[in-house]
Amino acid sequence: MAVITWDDLTALQKRRQEQDTNWIKVGMSTCGIAAGADRVYRALEEELHKQGCEVQLRKCGCLGMCAAEPLVEVSIAGMPQVIYCRVDEATARDIVRGHVCGRKILQDYIIDMQSEEVS
Amino acid sequence: MNEKTVLIKDTTPGSTTGTKDFFDLFTSALRESRLSDEVRVVRAADIGVYNHGIVLKILPENITYARVQPHDIKRIIGVTLKHGNPIRDLEYRPSSRQLRLVLRNCGRIDPENIDDYISRNGYQALYKALQAGPEAVISELKTSGLRGRGGGGFPTGLKWSMTGKSPGDEKYMICNADEGDPGAYMDRSVLEGDPHAVIEGMLIAGFAIGASQGFFYIRAEYPLAIERIQKAIDDARAYGLVGERIFNSSFSMDLEIRLGAGAFVCGEETALLASIEGKRGTPSPRPPYPSVKGLWGKPTCINNVETLANVPPIILNGGAWFSRIGTESSKGTKVFALTGKIKNSGLIEVPMGTTLRDIVFEIGGGPASGKKFKAVQTGGPSGGVIPEHLLDTGVDYDNLQRLGSIMGSGGMIVMDEDDCMVDIAKFYLKFCVDESCGKCAPCRIGGYQMLHLLEGIAQGKGTLEDLNRLRMIAKAMQKASLCGLGQTAANPVLSTLRYFEDEYREHIVNRRCPSKKCTALLRFVIDRMRCKKCGLCARTCPEKAISGDKDRGYVIDATKCISCGMCFEACKFGAVERN
Amino acid sequence: MIQATINGIPLEVAEGTTILDAARQVQVKIPTLCHHPDLPPTAACGICIVKVAGSNKMLRACCTPIEQGMKILTHDPEIVEVRRTVLELILSNHPNDCLKCGRNQSCELQNLTAAFGIREELFPKFISGIPKDDSTNAFVIEPDKCIHCGRCIEICQELQQVWALSFLGRGFASRFAPAAGMKLVESPCVECGQCSSHCPTGAIFELDETVKVWQKLQDPENYCVVQIAPSVRVAIGEAFGLPPGTNMTGKLYTVLRRLGFKAVFDTTFAADVTIMEEASEFVERFVHKKGALPLITTCCPSWVIYLEKQAPDMIEHFSSCKSPQQIMGLLAKTYYARAMQIDPSKIIMVSVMPCTSKKCELTRTEEMFASGYQDVDYALTTRELARMIKQTGKDFVNLPESEPDHILGDYTGAGVIFGSTGGVMEAALRTAHYFITGKNPETLEFEAIRGLPGVKELTLSLAGSTVRVAVAHGLGNVTSVLDRVREAKANGNPAPYDFIEVMACPGGCVGGGGQPYGVTNEIRTLRARGLYQDDRSRSIRFSHENPYVKKLYQEFLQKPLSSLAHELLHTHYVRRGQE
Repeated sequence: MAVITWDDLTALQKRRQEQDTNWIKVGMSTCGIAAGADRVYRALEEELHKQGCEVQLRKCGCLGMCAAEPLVEVSIAGMPQVIYCRVDEATARDIVRGHVCGRKILQDYIIDMQSEEVS
Repeated sequence: MNEKTVLIKDTTPGSTTGTKDFFDLFTSALRESRLSDEVRVVRAADIGVYNHGIVLKILPENITYARVQPHDIKRIIGVTLKHGNPIRDLEYRPSSRQLRLVLRNCGRIDPENIDDYISRNGYQALYKALQAGPEAVISELKTSGLRGRGGGGFPTGLKWSMTGKSPGDEKYMICNADEGDPGAYMDRSVLEGDPHAVIEGMLIAGFAIGASQGFFYIRAEYPLAIERIQKAIDDARAYGLVGERIFNSSFSMDLEIRLGAGAFVCGEETALLASIEGKRGTPSPRPPYPSVKGLWGKPTCINNVETLANVPPIILNGGAWFSRIGTESSKGTKVFALTGKIKNSGLIEVPMGTTLRDIVFEIGGGPASGKKFKAVQTGGPSGGVIPEHLLDTGVDYDNLQRLGSIMGSGGMIVMDEDDCMVDIAKFYLKFCVDESCGKCAPCRIGGYQMLHLLEGIAQGKGTLEDLNRLRMIAKAMQKASLCGLGQTAANPVLSTLRYFEDEYREHIVNRRCPSKKCTALLRFVIDRMRCKKCGLCARTCPEKAISGDKDRGYVIDATKCISCGMCFEACKFGAVERN
Repeated sequence: MIQATINGIPLEVAEGTTILDAARQVQVKIPTLCHHPDLPPTAACGICIVKVAGSNKMLRACCTPIEQGMKILTHDPEIVEVRRTVLELILSNHPNDCLKCGRNQSCELQNLTAAFGIREELFPKFISGIPKDDSTNAFVIEPDKCIHCGRCIEICQELQQVWALSFLGRGFASRFAPAAGMKLVESPCVECGQCSSHCPTGAIFELDETVKVWQKLQDPENYCVVQIAPSVRVAIGEAFGLPPGTNMTGKLYTVLRRLGFKAVFDTTFAADVTIMEEASEFVERFVHKKGALPLITTCCPSWVIYLEKQAPDMIEHFSSCKSPQQIMGLLAKTYYARAMQIDPSKIIMVSVMPCTSKKCELTRTEEMFASGYQDVDYALTTRELARMIKQTGKDFVNLPESEPDHILGDYTGAGVIFGSTGGVMEAALRTAHYFITGKNPETLEFEAIRGLPGVKELTLSLAGSTVRVAVAHGLGNVTSVLDRVREAKANGNPAPYDFIEVMACPGGCVGGGGQPYGVTNEIRTLRARGLYQDDRSRSIRFSHENPYVKKLYQEFLQKPLSSLAHELLHTHYVRRGQE
């Protein structure tokens, strides 16, 4: 359906922002895919389904820390939003079981950037 | 007290147990203070701070402490965790920080979902632009001071203004996505990670100049970028944001992708136009400039991907806002692809004026594996090297040019003591020779002759007179080549000669490569003390130059050795020496 | 008007004038290499660079327009040094074959090198080693000698629209070659030779058959006869330092006899015969409605090959009449041989043509052997004859004038204007008028179809009917004319023209591919003027009034289009090339 007016645009924006809770994002640009992000994505998908979690699994672009790919960002209500780096399929499953279901951040995998953002 | 998280990382180079040790100290201190249930402690893999000892980051306050000692734990718990106040003398104060403007949505949104883009103010700038009118839009761009990010650095507002003023009803807008510099992939990431930002920039640009047709010229070697841009165009079209009467205004614009075909030279404006027109991708003399006579003879504006991605925030926040970021001559930020011998390789975005030292050491973490920094190369095959003593230069168009390099499209390659400057110059020159279109004599033949000279030097056959010949040909190429490829192909050679002439002389006079990179100048010798007599080297040698047996050990016959280095790679005991 | 200064000298030029052209106004000749006045600048070589105050770049004078207030410097030590280095680079890629090359003394690269006083080879030589291509029997292509000026390709693609030549490959490996790297004879090439007459070096050179002709002349068994085309007489003087257009007819007859030819004929006589046949053909179609209109002339073999390859749908419109060269060959070995009682098997017929494709016309079809022998044995270009004359040390310029063998040598003014675009049409109209009305026309000269515009049209009234003619020269101009004919056919409308003349070379045969080097529009005009003056100086200006032509028909052919004439003087056409 067409977005014709300003109101259409801002209404869509609002709706989308409201859906923005409980998600996992996987960096799926060329750098990520080259490092194996598509396998990580599939592992997350399977494990989320297995555990019956109500979490949105999404792709995203390059976060810039290409040497640390595959990158997985997790945002679960009540927990800090964190990014896991050098994730493989086993770690992906641990993220679902440990972080999403168990509400525990995994040790030794967090990556943090020191940067400001402009929205 | 709300739940807090403490990230811990020991950033001391070479440290293996530092993080775990501090983690144990901190968790037991928390237990003693009975805060274990309210504070989560996590060992981080990378905390974005380097060479600052123990680093802690406390969430959600986003307070970062560096050079933390065990005796600081108590007051951290007492002051910050209990009361939420930062401790000044521990706070990490970086001299520079990344500012993600162009990359604002990369990694945040699903590039294949237009609603995600809209949720981050997407297409609001386009709406505003249509309301304001072309003149106002161009004025905003001029105020912003945005300069072309493809390397040319031409003021974007001025380019739009010139194209807008050219007479004619048929005008074209082109996005140059032929990113060809080796090691540069900023544009690729933006196209893959935030395609709608570039589309919105294109639409605003088209509106400002009076174009109703836009082309994305994407190199064929970027299939994912092509796929994502195509999907984004289709989704935007479905929403009525591309096509007829956008936002119910009188502005209509359609977008199309045209593929490149493996020619670096087609990143040059006039060669790009020839390529889209179906002709051989060779440059044409300018004037006439594309803004007057471009694609199919019509006024055309060509902008780089990164330039266009800057447009929506400029329209939304105003040109004045943008002009407050950066330096006097170079406004805004720049995305760099920081690669090479660096710990934290990847894409970074910093305000113009950030020093190279901060980029390489503060943000990049310095050379990996503790080797000594030698130089940083900027500007790709048109650029030059910046040695250590000039690292305090702020990155901007004019500064880099003064130093004999250029900003270029944003490739930044860090080199350490193992990189040979003659080899680096040869690499970039070979690239230009391979990619030269061949139309004009200075580039076609000059590049080839310069490469021949450099190959001779790298093989120990050079003379000091060669350095003069290199400079002579470089001058002819700079002054007489038809396009930027030829005009700048000699820059890496000239730049390495300027700062590292002693390395060239070592190759020529002493027939030695100090970085042990130029294999023809290496002598390989087996250390009898280390040799375990396994014979692996002899079996690996393609020239059968190694002889011996398991009793006496092995010896390399220097007359047969071609210095390929395979024995060096093969020996597990480090018994093969490279001199 | 725009004011600027060149080397401090003020001047005023029209807007759009290039620096190169403006410099001539102040008697400054900026050196060039790839530039040619017939073509838009390729800007490839980089020799014509100049300095402009306020910029540290050097700009190409051939393509940069003068702007108001420009201060240009054409020569200073730095500029000369850069030009010299560029030239030395070009020479490093060019074989040192001057002493064996056909362009020795007429080569533009040689001239430039001499002007720069080059005395040493600064750079190692790299020759591409690409094999020769002499597949067409009209040219020899030596890509190693090519300096990538691009003239041949521009002419073949843009001016002639034949697209037989292109650049292949990239960078140092780029080379000029027939399309897709096939042999020239397999390509769309029509052998018009415009490439060879514009080539600055020996890269494209006519197949030199002077040695074979010498051998024939020296064998006493042979009865060698020669014919000279109209265009040769007004151009060959240029090879001896005379102004273009100087009529050397009488001296040509003398020198040819002194070279050893037993009979000297003039192709112009055969041109008169062609008119007898072709004007009759026109009357058949126009008055008696026997055959399709328009009638299209076919004296030009490149035009015939082009038609057969690219426009075979027009075959029914081609005049079946052979070209004057072939008619002369045929008559020499039948009519002349009988009249002089010479064994035709001993006759060697050599033609001297402004044209390179005449070499291929000799064996076009089996009808070129209608005499029972190859009607014309060798076709030499004007350039080859000039070389032969120089080899025999004859003071050509100061020779006395003499007569040809009248039987096949006397000609009318109508015949001699064949060499200029529009000339065949004028001659045909003069005689057609007589054939239709029984009277000579009042107007002999049709200004409207003379001159250099690519397509010229004329409507005239002939015995109460309207005749519409079109004259085109340069193959790039024929498509529009043919398309108009095709469109009329498709819509069932009457043909837009009744008679069409086409000459493949710009300017007509005076600008032929075999003429002396250095042609420009000015020279084409001067050569044509020489022919028109010859026409005006003649007492007989109608082909049908040529007494020797009348004799020919009385004694031999009976009448135009007789069955004998058809058998001997007419030919047929086939589809050639790929579908």
